[in-house]
Amino acid sequence: MRTKFMFLFFKSPFENLKRHAEVVVSCSEMFEEAVKAYIKGDFDRFETLTDKVAELESKADGIKRNIRGHMPKGVLMPVDKYQFFMYLREQDKVLDAIEESLFWLSYRRWRIEEEFVEELEFMVKLTKKAIDYLSPMMDLALEYFKTGLREPRTKLKSVIRDIRQVEHEVDLLEREFIKKVFQTSTDPIYVFYATRLIETISSITDHAQNASDMMRAMIAE
Amino acid sequence: MEYLVSAKFYYLVLISSSLISLYVALNIGGNDLANAMGTSVGSGALTLKKALFLSMIFNFLGAVLAGGHVTNTIRKGIIDPMLFLNTPERLVLGMLASLLAAGIWIHLASYYGLPVSTTHSIVGAVVGFGVLAVGPKAINWKGLLNVVLSWILSPVAGAIVGGGIYWIVRRQILRQERAFRAAKLYAPLLFSLVLWVVSFSVFFEGLKTINLKLSLWETWGISLGVAFIGFLFGFLFIHIKERDKTSWFSSGDSAYVDKLFGYLQIITACYVAFAHGSNDVANAVGPFAAIYSTLKTGSVKMEVEVQIWMLGLGGLAIGSGLISLGLNVMETIGKKITEVTKVRGFCAEFGAATTILVCSRLGLPISTTHVLVGSVIGVGFMRGMSALDMRVILNIVSSWFITLPFTMILSLIIYWFFNILV
Repeated sequence: MRTKFMFLFFKSPFENLKRHAEVVVSCSEMFEEAVKAYIKGDFDRFETLTDKVAELESKADGIKRNIRGHMPKGVLMPVDKYQFFMYLREQDKVLDAIEESLFWLSYRRWRIEEEFVEELEFMVKLTKKAIDYLSPMMDLALEYFKTGLREPRTKLKSVIRDIRQVEHEVDLLEREFIKKVFQTSTDPIYVFYATRLIETISSITDHAQNASDMMRAMIAE
Repeated sequence: MEYLVSAKFYYLVLISSSLISLYVALNIGGNDLANAMGTSVGSGALTLKKALFLSMIFNFLGAVLAGGHVTNTIRKGIIDPMLFLNTPERLVLGMLASLLAAGIWIHLASYYGLPVSTTHSIVGAVVGFGVLAVGPKAINWKGLLNVVLSWILSPVAGAIVGGGIYWIVRRQILRQERAFRAAKLYAPLLFSLVLWVVSFSVFFEGLKTINLKLSLWETWGISLGVAFIGFLFGFLFIHIKERDKTSWFSSGDSAYVDKLFGYLQIITACYVAFAHGSNDVANAVGPFAAIYSTLKTGSVKMEVEVQIWMLGLGGLAIGSGLISLGLNVMETIGKKITEVTKVRGFCAEFGAATTILVCSRLGLPISTTHVLVGSVIGVGFMRGMSALDMRVILNIVSSWFITLPFTMILSLIIYWFFNILV
């Protein structure tokens, strides 16, 4: 072929971004299950799920590297490239934080105090909710970038608001939870272990919110 | 002069020039027309078979109805034929050398996959022989400057028109609360706009090829009439379709807009094929027309107008090239271009076809592929495409710098060789 017209078109990075989001979201269920297994004292199940998450994290890293490594300078995209990479970075950090939370839990086999179980489960539930929002957010973003229609953009803004709301709830819960840990435990190692765990779990929603903020910037008119 | 009256020379030149013209036309069809139709297949607006069928018809119509202007530029607008008044055989040999040089270059470029333009090849070749045969004074520098400027400006114009249309569509349709309502109103308007541009450019100053002369007012009247009929047709089409509750009209905004622009893109696909025929037929037919006219009259005055059968045969040959050589190109493009949605495809094609048609009307031989590339980039600039490689601009510019010197020198060498032979 003499005139390669199609050389104008570069493989869309959004396809891979969606694949990356799918991997992240697929970990939310495992994360919740792993924490529940830990609370129940089923450490074998917990270890299995943690290993699976670590495996998926490695897969997501591969997708991230593929996106970054195949984005030549001459590519024109419908969104700012810096914002795109920032979004990818934050989406990836969600999974990093999930992995870190599970690794932190795995370092010592504690029995979670009865009075903390409810808070921890609720916090994990909210975190799962925030992670799960990444999937519809990505679907709507892809539809918006593809069609340019107003409707997916409006829905996308609503999902971004929902993520922000969940993050706010987790922040409030984190504060109360840490306060409770300090008030009820006297063992300094346990306090350190618990507060670090709470902060790490809370950082998952922080990164989900950062990703949604980047998405908001990407769809700004 | 005696060469021209020699039957051997007459038939040898006529047959060889028509064969090389045919080869150039086949290549144009296999590459440039295939590229031009690629966006319609890529977006899914047309199947490969329908695209082939429509492009054959509309490319032919474009060549016959609006291909005369650019053909005239190639045959007598770049070099002054009157400088060969006493040596018409040199013009004939020169044009034959130009055709052969362009043909060889296009063949090499096709073999090595170089993104070069047929238009640049033929213009470079004609300039090359002109410089050797008569010297720099043979070149119509003003005309050549216009052509070269058009090579730079036409992709930019394509980008502005394509991007502009996308901006309007996005603002007036896509960003509306009820996109399907806006689309329902604007679709017939866009349809009538396409028809207006086509009919205005075809009927402007009449149609020389069929001896039809029209005043400016008549042109306005006819084109506006065609556009109005188009609007009514579009309006009725949507309303009839809307009655069918099971159709796509009952689906969501996204599917509705997509389907509606799918229909509009069929129109722009025909428009692109028409525009392509109007401009690129000259690359194959232009030098042949000069040879034919000189051989027939024995004079370089170019008294014989560009014949309708030449344009028709050129159009047919381009269409045949699309079927024989371009099928693979179209299939590949169709699979690769996932970024082109029907809305974007419509805008890019509208921008490209309008620019090409205006250039054809002005008699400017331009690269249709470069204009299409410009138009697609224009839509991309309006944040319409997921990923476009802007390095393609470098590719376009490099094709000018490679093609022009090469075909100039090659044509010069062939012409020199012909002169030794004859």
